Amino acid sequence: MRAAAERAYNSRVPERAASPPLPHPDGPLSGYRVVDLADEKGQLCARLLGELGADVIKVEPRRGDRTRANGPFYRDEAGRESSLYWWAMNAGKRSVTCELRLDAGRDLFHRLVAAADAVIETSAPGTALELGADPRSLARANPGAVVVSITNFGQTGPFRNLPATDIVGSAMGGHMYLNGCEERGPVRTTVPQAYAQVNVQAAVGTVIALYARGANGGLGQHVDVSMQEAMANAMDNAQQTWDILGINNHGPGSGRMVSGRQGPRYIYETTDGWVAALQMGGLMGPSANAMIDWLDEAGEAGPLASPEWRARLEVVQPLEEHEQALLVATMARFCRSRRKDDLVAGAQERGAGWAPVYSPREIVECEQLVAREYWVRVRHEDIGESFVYPGAPFILSATPWKQRGRAPHLGEHNDEVYGGLLGLAAGEIARLRRAMVI
Amino acid sequence: MALRERPKPFAGLRVTDLSWVGVGPTVAKYLADHGAEVIRVESATRMETLRRAGPFTNNEPHPDNSGYYANFNSSKLCVSVNLKHPKGATLVKRLVAVSDAVTESFTPGTLARLGLDYEALREVRPDLVMISMPLFGQTGPWASYMGYGHVLQAAAGFNHLTGWPDGEPIGTGVAYTDFLVPHVGALALVAALDYRRRTGVGQYIDFSQFEGAIHALGPAILESTANGREAGRLGNRDPEAAPHGAYRCKDGRYAVIACFTEAHWEGFRAAIGRPDWTDLERMRRKESRLREQKELDRHIGFWCAERTAAQAFKAMRGNGVPSGIVKSPEEMHRDPQLRHRGHYRVLTHPTMGERTYDSPAFRLSKTPGELTKAAPLLGEDNERVLKGTLGLSDEEYTELLMEGVLE
Repeated sequence: MRAAAERAYNSRVPERAASPPLPHPDGPLSGYRVVDLADEKGQLCARLLGELGADVIKVEPRRGDRTRANGPFYRDEAGRESSLYWWAMNAGKRSVTCELRLDAGRDLFHRLVAAADAVIETSAPGTALELGADPRSLARANPGAVVVSITNFGQTGPFRNLPATDIVGSAMGGHMYLNGCEERGPVRTTVPQAYAQVNVQAAVGTVIALYARGANGGLGQHVDVSMQEAMANAMDNAQQTWDILGINNHGPGSGRMVSGRQGPRYIYETTDGWVAALQMGGLMGPSANAMIDWLDEAGEAGPLASPEWRARLEVVQPLEEHEQALLVATMARFCRSRRKDDLVAGAQERGAGWAPVYSPREIVECEQLVAREYWVRVRHEDIGESFVYPGAPFILSATPWKQRGRAPHLGEHNDEVYGGLLGLAAGEIARLRRAMVI
Repeated sequence: MALRERPKPFAGLRVTDLSWVGVGPTVAKYLADHGAEVIRVESATRMETLRRAGPFTNNEPHPDNSGYYANFNSSKLCVSVNLKHPKGATLVKRLVAVSDAVTESFTPGTLARLGLDYEALREVRPDLVMISMPLFGQTGPWASYMGYGHVLQAAAGFNHLTGWPDGEPIGTGVAYTDFLVPHVGALALVAALDYRRRTGVGQYIDFSQFEGAIHALGPAILESTANGREAGRLGNRDPEAAPHGAYRCKDGRYAVIACFTEAHWEGFRAAIGRPDWTDLERMRRKESRLREQKELDRHIGFWCAERTAAQAFKAMRGNGVPSGIVKSPEEMHRDPQLRHRGHYRVLTHPTMGERTYDSPAFRLSKTPGELTKAAPLLGEDNERVLKGTLGLSDEEYTELLMEGVLE
């Protein structure tokens, strides 16, 4: 998008006010407070709870959370407040500093927990104890708190202490086996999905545990979340296919293997990118006739326009390999000379479920999202700029989702939280600062 | 204490599950596996897509033999009701009147035509929580677009971001969004149920699968909107780690290795016996190693080619290097960690026999979930629900049967 067009587009996205986080008294989780100690495995989880109304307080060591060093950076200038990763995952939270390795820090942390409903933490199993962030210490600080521990493999079992990152979760969770290509092997998604998966699944576990307080006398509990299991839940039907048929579904990812059978390719090149068109793009099945008509009008249906082929494709019969190849070649030829959005609109009109292969920029420009006023513009008053962020992942009629402003600076809310929320006197806060606790 | 029945989070909650295929049933499965009474409403006149999709037990296509369907529908009941029959819609309305929540994933407008949209249903159940979850939401130019998770992943950016920089946008190989957005939808639904628990107020949730999925790509969106730069696919590389990749081993399997820190790198060096090349000046710091990824991959490729994936994994993990094996579905079933965790639950189904089901990625310590039963047969619970829950007389029930309402 050219700069002028971008400005014009962006000006249509309403801008959120300054001084984050914005209040959100109308969310379904309003009234709850969440303490966030998490790394990549839990920051999105906590952020989503905040956007549903919870007051989320990010607790960081004085040097700053490790993930503030995650790229990419705004204008490629690395710095504690310029990580786009940090912005995306921590928007709308408050930040306090607290050294959990010091006794005074742990005491302070437990006072915070006493005022909270949930704690999200991602320390390796067993290591939370020395930080005072283990379930038992936290239950002592607040029996009503839900303690969510998100780890690589879960709290128990032979792999519980193994180090892992996103690609390990994708591999050990069975997901990577199902994609990639023959020559180069399996591939992970470049934007970490094992992390994304465990975050959103942990968020479900958190709200179920909050709901369960109603059935459980107001008591909190420990929620033990595994990244490996989260990824294992993203294997489509490969789990059942092995169980039932004894066949391993596998890549390449450019086709689709279901129930042990490799389908034809589903992505096709266009003049301006690619389209996704599953199952021969609808050339087989109830939409077959309409799709063949479309190709025929353009003079590109070839032999498929014959009554025999039409009759055959409409009722979906297994095809010989060379017949499949003819359909794929026909699709590929048709797509290669057309624009992807035109192809998608044309196919959808004829009852075939195509979609464009979009880049992040194309997603931002997507007419459907613009029409639904999806995007929100978040003001970064600290640098005098504002940027477009993803908007409501769901529209709740009575208790709306809300983006709550930019991510916090390191310790930005120390006075507000320790003074206002916990009621510490200014002198006490100063003393904690001098003692390098906060 | 140990003898006392542990409470289930959603005990006493009833859900009418009108959804189908992957996303909706997975959302409702969370509720069913945590104690809600979830009643699926299906019909042989418009068969649930996945009952027609394999894998089928004994390779025998039959609505009650599909493993694909079964996995998403543990712990649920099922009634068969023809919604196109006027009495069918009335029956569903009666069921909703005694339900707390409704889940559905029809094309927008479908339920309104049947007189079963939120506006109609809240009349019989004012505090109802209802979630609709089609691909693109209830409004907008794409609202009527059809498709599956495999193509939605393309629109939502996952193809663009999966593959090699010089290759095609492969995508994840699965109907990816079907296995991502249910968690986002379930978060909204349970949050709304919790709000109802605390205030008594129900509501309607317009969930667009597309809009939920985009939140899994946050930093890539900001790369575009704040830096004006398009994120691309990087194969198995990571901009913050070197080495980082999946490497083919002697046995044809792949090992993954990820060195984000200098401690990981030192562990990696120890694991491969500290060969000279690892001591070269340009290999000593991550910033410079990031420029030497080709050479790193070449060396690791040689090292892995002489070992099985299990040997490579053992050497790496023994030295604290984040590492693993790209596990096949078969290996997942044998994985000692997943076995210890009881991730795959074996449930006995009347026609499919003993089959494995996925369970949630989390365990609640005091009110744990439980997969209470295998997936239901089509219409298995007609009598139990219609006579028991709705109180139909034998005569009324027989009449509905005769009129084809329960097909």
